[in-house]
Amino acid sequence: MVALARKTLVYEWRRFLPAILAVGFAGLLQLLQAALVLGIFGSASVYITGSAADLWVGYPGTQSVNLGRPIDPNVEMRLLMDPAVARVEPFIWLDADWRGQGETGGVSVFVSGIDPRADGLMFAHALPPALRARLNEPDAVIVDRADIDKLGVGVGGTAAINGRRVRVVGVSSGLRALGGVNVVSSLDTARRLDSDPTDGDRPTYLVARLRDPAQAQAVARRLRGGGAFGPYEVWTADSFARRSVMYWMFDTGAGAGVLFLAGIVFLVGAVITSQTLVAAVAGSVREYATLNALGVGVAALRWVVLEQAFWVGALGLLGATVLGAGLLLLARSQDVPVVLNATATIACVVLAMGLAAVSGLAAMRSLRRADPATLLR
Amino acid sequence: MNAPTPAAPILYAEGIGKAFVSGRVRTQVLDGLSLGIGPGELTLISGPSGCGKSTLLAILSGLQRVDSGRVFALGSELGLLDGHALERFRLRHTGFVFQGFNLFPALSALEQVELPLHYLGLPREQARARAAQSLDEVGLAHRMRLRPAELSGGEKQRVAIARALAKQPELLFADEPTSALDAANGQTVIDILHRIARSHGTTVLCVSHDPRLIGHADRVLAMEDGRILSDRRAAPPAATIEGTPP
Ligand SMILES: Nc1ncnc2c1ncn2[C@@H]1O[C@H](COP(=O)(O)OP(=O)(O)OP(=O)(O)O)[C@@H](O)[C@H]1O
Ligand SMILES: [Mg+2]
Repeated sequence: MVALARKTLVYEWRRFLPAILAVGFAGLLQLLQAALVLGIFGSASVYITGSAADLWVGYPGTQSVNLGRPIDPNVEMRLLMDPAVARVEPFIWLDADWRGQGETGGVSVFVSGIDPRADGLMFAHALPPALRARLNEPDAVIVDRADIDKLGVGVGGTAAINGRRVRVVGVSSGLRALGGVNVVSSLDTARRLDSDPTDGDRPTYLVARLRDPAQAQAVARRLRGGGAFGPYEVWTADSFARRSVMYWMFDTGAGAGVLFLAGIVFLVGAVITSQTLVAAVAGSVREYATLNALGVGVAALRWVVLEQAFWVGALGLLGATVLGAGLLLLARSQDVPVVLNATATIACVVLAMGLAAVSGLAAMRSLRRADPATLLR
Repeated sequence: MNAPTPAAPILYAEGIGKAFVSGRVRTQVLDGLSLGIGPGELTLISGPSGCGKSTLLAILSGLQRVDSGRVFALGSELGLLDGHALERFRLRHTGFVFQGFNLFPALSALEQVELPLHYLGLPREQARARAAQSLDEVGLAHRMRLRPAELSGGEKQRVAIARALAKQPELLFADEPTSALDAANGQTVIDILHRIARSHGTTVLCVSHDPRLIGHADRVLAMEDGRILSDRRAAPPAATIEGTPP
């Protein structure tokens, strides 16, 4: 088969360039936006992604980590009864008020009470064992390096949380929170800092490590069953992290913004791309008409146009991928929070190819002008 | 005096009428025209500008429909075929050469000729061989790899002829095939059309102002105002090579 669509695209690349650029930039814009939003809102799930737990157990219906409510500590027994569960650890999450020594006023902080043992699950990825060990000292807390200024305290300095004295024993990175400041302490310290008497000694979450992490979904489903210990729900770490990010995205309206921009990008891209393809078809309309006179069906000619649209989409995406990868690497090196997952990437690819397809369909319509009778005049 | 017809017509129009309406003006281009074209002949239609020659060609070749009357080509009544069937008919049986060359800028001469053959269902090797053979026949064997931008006007028209010829059509329609060409190139194209009718037995129907074509045609139809004024046959020696005397 003579590859008419492809050869025309190569030979008349200047004519198709605007369409390729339009698809490419639409894809790129969408990709970067998704990466930024996921990067920023990804910190809503830093408790989960920074930890080594496979399962999270919390109050039923909890939409995001920061919305947890205390659960019965005896659920731990239920979890440990399952042979797939290797370890269970409590996690306390508190909303609290920080008063530093400087003129910083009150700062809203989120206290994470974790098990500080060296092989603890919580914040296993963010806190090295030596640093965790320091949490065993009474009233010790660790904060993110980037939050030090905001808290008005240095390492070794003291401050008050909910009116009780704490001492900053170290800083780490990868603890930054969304809408506040994360403060990590031991479970004991966190219990002392809790000003709400109704919480009792109950943890906000129980996190578990499985012997085989690949079984997480099956085990989570199995553990969801028993209700003998009061209300609780089991999520895999992945699904709870996703749940938290989604909650923030849509609670803040950022998700709607992403979708809105996606719509705009699609529209603008489709207008440019379809106009370019229409012009390309119009430029060859006499040749198409000649083929039709020779008996090549209109359907076959439509395929040629659609194939052209496909190649325009593919080339645009290729450009967007190369440029996007470069820009994401650059952003990472500058500490701009960017994260890309498979779903977002696929969505961007679908958007770009959909845009090309819609444009191809629009350009097909101009084939109607390829009436072979007009060649006889 | 009756015009002698060597064989039963392969292309036959019966009382065809065609009018175009633009705004409030209605132009009757063809009005009750009847015509038969014999197989294997090179027939020339000539006449003043605007008399309806191209319209007649478009109707006889199945590119345009009639308002009244009937057209039979190779035994099918074209008016009874739907759009899809007309496309099939043209694909299998007709070739076209237009005044413009209408070649794809991106394709080489060989690919231009090969392209329609794929839609005809020919396997790749066969399509390529046939395309090469057609180009050879129009004297372009050595320019097969060149794109239109690298070909002269005459060469481009020969590629267009090869494209029509490679399908091995029974009917070949040409509308002013020489008018965009200089004298020498026009003569080459005329010779090729003549040879196609002779050696392939193709029925060639050609519209032209070009007086040089008259000498090569088996039959010359003079048109005026949508009617055929005169119908002349060329001198017997040229026409009776394969004709059977009545
Ligand atoms: N699609 C159309 N719409 C309106 N009028 C048309 C159309 N096609 C042809 N005509 C008219 O029909 C008449 C005959 O046109 P046609 O193209 O058949 O002439 P022609 O004999 O081929 O002329 P020429 O030698 O200049 O090519 C002209 O007056 C033209 O204006
Ligand atoms: Mg004409």
